[in-house]
Amino acid sequence: MGHQHIPVQVMGIDAGGTMTDTFFVRADGRFVVGKAQSNPGDESLAIFNSSVDALAHWNRGVDDVYPELVTCVYSGTAMLNRILMRKGLDVGLICNKGFEQIHSMGRALQSYLGYALEDRIHLNTHRYDEPLVPVSRTRGVTERTDVQGKIAIPLREEEVRQAVRDLVALGSQAIVICLLQSHKNETNEQRARDVAREELAALGSDIPVFASVDYYPSRKESHRMNTTILEAYGAEPSRQTLKKVSDRFKDHGAKFDLRVMATHGGTISWKAKELARTIVSGPIGGVIGSKLLGEALGHENVACSDIGGTSFDVALITKGSFAIKSDPDMARLVLSLPLVAMDSVGAGAGSFVRLDPYSKSIKLGPDSAGYRVGTCWPESGLDTVSVSDCHVVLGYLNPDNFLGGAIKLDVDRARRHIKEQIADPLGLSVEDAAAGVIELLDLTLSEYLRANISAKGYNPADFTCFSYGGAGPVHTYGYTEGVGFKDVVVPAWAAGFSAFGCACADFEYRYDKSVDLGVAQVATEEAKAAACATLQDAWSELALKVIDEFVINGFRPEDVLLIPGYKMQYMGQLNDLEIVSPVATAATAADWNAIVEAFETTYGRVYASSARSPELGFSITGAILRGTVVTQKPVLPEDVDAGPIPPEGARLGHRPFYRHKKWVDATLWKMEALKAGNHIVGPAIIESDATTFVVPDGFETFVDKHRLFHLKEVK
Amino acid sequence: MSSYTNEQVSHLIDGTLDWETMFRMLSMPKDHDRFAQYVAALQSKVKFKDKIVLPLGPHLHIVQKADTKAWVTMCDCGHDFGDYRENWKLNAVVYVRDTEEAMVDVYPKLMAPDTNWQVYREYYCPKCGAMHDVEAPTPWYPVIHDFEPDIEAFYRDWVNLPVPERA
Repeated sequence: MGHQHIPVQVMGIDAGGTMTDTFFVRADGRFVVGKAQSNPGDESLAIFNSSVDALAHWNRGVDDVYPELVTCVYSGTAMLNRILMRKGLDVGLICNKGFEQIHSMGRALQSYLGYALEDRIHLNTHRYDEPLVPVSRTRGVTERTDVQGKIAIPLREEEVRQAVRDLVALGSQAIVICLLQSHKNETNEQRARDVAREELAALGSDIPVFASVDYYPSRKESHRMNTTILEAYGAEPSRQTLKKVSDRFKDHGAKFDLRVMATHGGTISWKAKELARTIVSGPIGGVIGSKLLGEALGHENVACSDIGGTSFDVALITKGSFAIKSDPDMARLVLSLPLVAMDSVGAGAGSFVRLDPYSKSIKLGPDSAGYRVGTCWPESGLDTVSVSDCHVVLGYLNPDNFLGGAIKLDVDRARRHIKEQIADPLGLSVEDAAAGVIELLDLTLSEYLRANISAKGYNPADFTCFSYGGAGPVHTYGYTEGVGFKDVVVPAWAAGFSAFGCACADFEYRYDKSVDLGVAQVATEEAKAAACATLQDAWSELALKVIDEFVINGFRPEDVLLIPGYKMQYMGQLNDLEIVSPVATAATAADWNAIVEAFETTYGRVYASSARSPELGFSITGAILRGTVVTQKPVLPEDVDAGPIPPEGARLGHRPFYRHKKWVDATLWKMEALKAGNHIVGPAIIESDATTFVVPDGFETFVDKHRLFHLKEVK
Repeated sequence: MSSYTNEQVSHLIDGTLDWETMFRMLSMPKDHDRFAQYVAALQSKVKFKDKIVLPLGPHLHIVQKADTKAWVTMCDCGHDFGDYRENWKLNAVVYVRDTEEAMVDVYPKLMAPDTNWQVYREYYCPKCGAMHDVEAPTPWYPVIHDFEPDIEAFYRDWVNLPVPERA
């Protein structure tokens, strides 16, 4: 009980579709993970229940711990679900006259976003989702700004007034204004915004107006329009959800200000103006957590792999930084938001397994059992075999301790279904059929991982692989075997790793703006200074927005650390690189030279020095400004080395385990009871409530002082 | 491979199937029992007692007459279009759009075909008025016999079902 005096400082929340995970870290680096069933009706309740579950490990209560916390970060799928289920506000849209159908038509690729390759090339399956704003609540107004930003037709203000009157009469709860090329010249759009506000005031209406230039002034009209609409459509309702969460914390004595994980890899306040960027946050947490762990271990190249029930997500950290994608797609919409770059394949631990009736080959997914686990859970109502069924049959998973024994799995039921659906048609034994499924999944994942690294021009030998997610440690050996990583690491808190990662993220706002600057390799001092002036203008504009956001949260402008950046490319090339600016402000030709040099160095590192093409000249395509303030982050546990031999108390027994055509006797260990320095040789299975770490024969693992398991192939 | 409930197949016919299931049907290999399930669902929706042998269109089927076991083409409403090997259209009510006025019903002015080159021939059930087919041929072209299915081969080689009795 002595540890009760050590305060709990950090909390991370990952409110997923099925489970809500919470992660608490004490000042000494000790942590606990809590799980509770998600509650879409009231997320705050699921978070509360999950907290109770976690803190019970320390014999502590919520009312006792919440007041101690200094920082808390939320990530969840509420916003995403709101969009997917089309449960947002009734938004009215004002666009250019003649372009009223653009949003409904959408980009062609939106009809197959998120599909597996087979379906992408199968036109019959393509389908457009319901637009966020129907054509009936869209009005066009006359104006035109050309591609150079010159006003070709001034705004017809009376049309804006009429549009606003129409949209209000139609019951709009918010108005979005997105006009062509407004990122190049915001005059017309801002005027339209002001006219709309005047008209609303005259009508006595207080609905909000969202102009795209105020939010996402980036090129690509569909992306900009979608993102601004998303903000109006989903952000306000999500803010209500977050307020409820925050209020429940306050009711239990919390003093911290709730923050939300955002797509750019930083956290923002729930009071932030731009909440659309919280649409996807869970998987990003894992990448941020990996970055922090990588820094602690001194690994600057990390392959982050997260395997859940439905998908396998891979992200790369190179030289200590992750890549940002500036026009990602989410919820089957193209958007202009900065998103931590990740690649996903639709194969996970819950994927359904079927035989192709013609070729008799095993097919995994693309759909999955999700929270229903598989046919091994009789209450699931499923009768199609999933990957989990194969695991249960082969002894990978403990049928009596799935999710800490929360549900009991029926091995015989799984055997029967595998026999009927897979083994008999293939003329194999149940074990060999199930092992074949696992091998296929492992092969699919390891090929995907390897391809992801080598396709970007890297060598797996330079990378450490972090494996996490509820199902990650079951497969770690399978998808890393033979890839040749420098090290393979499984954190003891793999199941709560995304929540942990969220707690690791900076309190950081990031704003982007498209700019178009082109400067030749050999340019005059004046040309360079002029380019700097344009970039600096953009930075100054963004700085106001960033500081504004922090002021909302009660910070003083001088506490904010501003980090300017830019996106640059060789003129005429197609891909830009994101660079942290070497100069705090840009004004002179010397500043420009520094900006160019930083780009060229990065280019040489990402591609190859010999591929550099300065003779083409340089263009800057975007200005970026990040601002952060200091926050408390989780500290890693530091344990004393207890020697290689695990304590006898950690031993749980034995279980038959099938691999490579034979049954072996695997030793079972309790993960929580293992000590730093302990060394375990396969076949072994290390169990915890939330995850199972499989160490088959031919592998060994040891626990380091941070409670990280390092997995190695025995040579 | 997936399988589906009779209820799902019934929704498929009515166009009320949820998108997730529809998507699965579209993207996965065809399920074994679909034909039998589909015909059974159709059978429960039609007004006649005769057994459906092969669906021909949304409201048109080749059926086995309950009394004579003869195979005929039949409308949902039970109207008999005659022997299944003959062109059922010859026994349908036909409306030919061969003037500009008639075309304006279908397309805006100047956006319809020139009726000297192309006409529309619409075939309706004489009993219930269901539209069964529309042809868009040149004005002089004979009535098109769409196809003559090889039902025996379809049952035997494709869906592995016994061929229904035929008089």
